Amino acid sequence: MSETVLAIEQLTVYRDNYAAVQDVSFSLTAGTDTAVVGPNGAGKSTLIQAILGIFPRQKGQIFVLGQPLSQQGKLTAEVRQSIAYLPQNFPFDRRIPMTVAEFVGLGWDRLGLQLPWAGRKPRRKAVREALSRVEAWHLCHQPISSLSGGEIKRVLLAYCLVRPRRLLILDEAPAGLDVRGESEFYQLLYELKQEQGWAILQVSHDLDMVRRHCDRALCLNQTLRCQGTPEVALSSSNLSLTYGSEFVPYHHTCRDY
Amino acid sequence: MSIAAELSRALELFEFPFMQRALIGGVFTGLTGGLLGSFTILRQLSFFSDALGHSALLGISFAFLLGLNPSAIILPFAVIFALVVMFLLERTHLWTDALLNIIYSSSLAVALIVLSFVGQYKGGINHLLFGDILAIRNADLILSAVLFCLCTAFIGLTLRTQMLLTINEPMAIARGVPVATYRTIFIVLLALLVGVSIKAIGVLLVSAFIVIPACAARLLSRTFTHHIVASAGLGAISAILGILLSALFNLPSGPSIVVMQLAIFCLAIVVPTAQRLAL
Repeated sequence: MSETVLAIEQLTVYRDNYAAVQDVSFSLTAGTDTAVVGPNGAGKSTLIQAILGIFPRQKGQIFVLGQPLSQQGKLTAEVRQSIAYLPQNFPFDRRIPMTVAEFVGLGWDRLGLQLPWAGRKPRRKAVREALSRVEAWHLCHQPISSLSGGEIKRVLLAYCLVRPRRLLILDEAPAGLDVRGESEFYQLLYELKQEQGWAILQVSHDLDMVRRHCDRALCLNQTLRCQGTPEVALSSSNLSLTYGSEFVPYHHTCRDY
Repeated sequence: MSIAAELSRALELFEFPFMQRALIGGVFTGLTGGLLGSFTILRQLSFFSDALGHSALLGISFAFLLGLNPSAIILPFAVIFALVVMFLLERTHLWTDALLNIIYSSSLAVALIVLSFVGQYKGGINHLLFGDILAIRNADLILSAVLFCLCTAFIGLTLRTQMLLTINEPMAIARGVPVATYRTIFIVLLALLVGVSIKAIGVLLVSAFIVIPACAARLLSRTFTHHIVASAGLGAISAILGILLSALFNLPSGPSIVVMQLAIFCLAIVVPTAQRLAL
């Protein structure tokens, strides 16, 4: 049986005096890809942020690699290093001077007190390998402000790849890409997932992608309306339960990734 | 008199202890201002440092009114004031620049009213506004050196964390970085820098030491680490050149340093543009 990477038990998170996420329980095993789907305002991003400790929870337990996440969002440095998070759109100030190599190197570092020159050689080697794997080594010395949307996604994947991870959490990671860019992003993501054995938890609005690639889907609208394989969880009746009775699913037939 | 003779006369001035203290103090303030300034501008806190500078006048004015030593009051006042401002910025849903504007203009107004009750300082406001780097004492130098060491240790040992925090805060939180703690320490160091520098530079010009060298360095840097080093370096160089300029032409020292910072900033705009045109 595969190892449980993430376990959520009866999680409740309040935002502005209302329960954005209520009594949610599920678990993720190594090497699986789970999508969280649901309408806007359903609590998907709140769920992700609570798991990461960005947003405090009011009730429930979160276990990452068997270790409980404290109320203050604390985990051991080793467990923290095994998680990578890609936020929606990766907002950053483009006036900040930072090269691609510098940014990817931040994914390698164990954050905390250390001398500024510590780990210079192994970091450089890991950055080179990660950027080469996502075919972005040529961007190494470029400022991240000069990258296109697709290049930024590649660099973000290199940030995840630069150190061995166990759990990848994506909040609508391909947002902002065109159809081709999105297709290339997922192709690369799933190649890396196979290679690295990552467990992936991702928020997605693309139900076709979820059907094609994910092992499980969680339908969330404040509470967990249903969960299971995409065939079961994304059935018409379950989608109506999640998105409302007026929801009409449209299946794309021309896209292939 | 020839330029060489003028220069020789100006250099002779540095034989006096007060000029040596001014030079060393200027270099420490320039280095620390540049170091913290690099993060201040990237995190868009420039106006915050300006507000801190103005608020320091409020602390000084209360010290005069109560008959206390301003030097003993200014540091705790600056730190407490900075923490209160940070609390207000986090808790109110107002725009940062609008709230800071309210804080700095009102603290300036209250400070001027309080000073009007202190006979000793009627008409002596220039001293507080523009400072006097030539009046630096050994104790001030020690304070500046200790603050520089503290800031270098903090930024140096947490550099990688500070970089991630600056580029994307949620990614830093996801990596377990205690963002609130890091933010508070940074704000406290910034407040201490303002408090320590007021005597030498004055409340109006203190934010120039934090903002101008950092902006010039930004124009000249492609990487984050170069930006930090260049910012601190330009802060120190402009302090040396400014004090030299002040000695040469008998100009007020604080404003002379700021003018040199401006000159370096203008060069930083022109040089890369000229290089691009030449290619």
